[in-house]
Amino acid sequence: MLDFMIRDVRFCSPIIAASGTFGYGDEVQKFVDLSKIGSVITKSITLEPREGNPSPRIHESNSGMINSIGLANMGVDSFCDTKLDSLNKLKTNFIVSVAGSSLDEYADVIKQIDKTNGKHVGYEVNISCPNVKEGGIEFGVNKDVTFKLTRRLRELTDKLLIIKLTPNVTNIAEIAQAAESGGADAVSAVNTFQGLAIDHKTGKMLLSTKFGGISGPSIKPLALAKVHKIYQQINIPILGMGGIVDCVDVVEFLRVGASMVQIGTLNYRDPSLISTIHDKLHALMVKNKFSKLSDLIGAYH
Amino acid sequence: MKAWSVDYVIWRLETAYPGGFKYALKHPIQFLIDGWNFLIWCEKIDLELASRGKRKC
Repeated sequence: MLDFMIRDVRFCSPIIAASGTFGYGDEVQKFVDLSKIGSVITKSITLEPREGNPSPRIHESNSGMINSIGLANMGVDSFCDTKLDSLNKLKTNFIVSVAGSSLDEYADVIKQIDKTNGKHVGYEVNISCPNVKEGGIEFGVNKDVTFKLTRRLRELTDKLLIIKLTPNVTNIAEIAQAAESGGADAVSAVNTFQGLAIDHKTGKMLLSTKFGGISGPSIKPLALAKVHKIYQQINIPILGMGGIVDCVDVVEFLRVGASMVQIGTLNYRDPSLISTIHDKLHALMVKNKFSKLSDLIGAYH
Repeated sequence: MKAWSVDYVIWRLETAYPGGFKYALKHPIQFLIDGWNFLIWCEKIDLELASRGKRKC
């Protein structure tokens, strides 16, 4: 009832653990029932190891959080050497998130991982990274760059290619269209919204990088609007995300056009909660006489 | 998960700090303040979840 296919890949559940909120994916298997999650997405992997931004890099806000972790990760070499074997044994699919500061860097990361015996079903491409060669402007704010990047990566791999869209753009639907034209199998919508936190007494910024990405329940209406807009313009699946904490939120995302959903910030509270949402969603569908996910996907439109 | 496991705490610290738990050991006051803020945040999220639990499906 809850399974979903993207191309030839079957996901047992529409619920996915979002990148950056579940470590590399293997750390949490001791306390999460991964068989009830459609997939785990690793934290973003870059060509070189990164320590991330200096502390403070997380600020807990009233109904969510603002983070500027800065893609802290062990780099692709260590990832392939030390993580892939244990990820291959996970009881669910895993998707590798990749990030880079140039087109070549994204390509090199994917080439290197594709050479291994990794059982990952695909790549999620984090295009919210600054493009060093273009003056630091994010890849994902320009449709031509998004198209170019997607097409380049499409030529390199047969695995699923999922483009993770930034919401910090004027017209997110045209960026999604560029990803689809470039050969993406799906898009993730949306990454965090840009935000800032300041101490009202001292005037000090509460994140070392000043700006960060807002996630959590506070962004859900904003994210739903973005998914709604994208659904009307593309024909590939949307992995909806932004503030999902229970099965009702999941249904809302499905109704506006998401085919699957990602859960992120909730994992900071308790990573085991994600696996309970699967059962609750199943019960909700039975109660409301929905026999399959496609009864709900885009039902509003 | 009513009690956080050691694995969870280590993973959470690695997310929060460059250097993970080593950073926390070197900066105990900051760690305590951040830990306190995190606990308050968890309570807020729990309240949010409790209010969602009352929604009819």
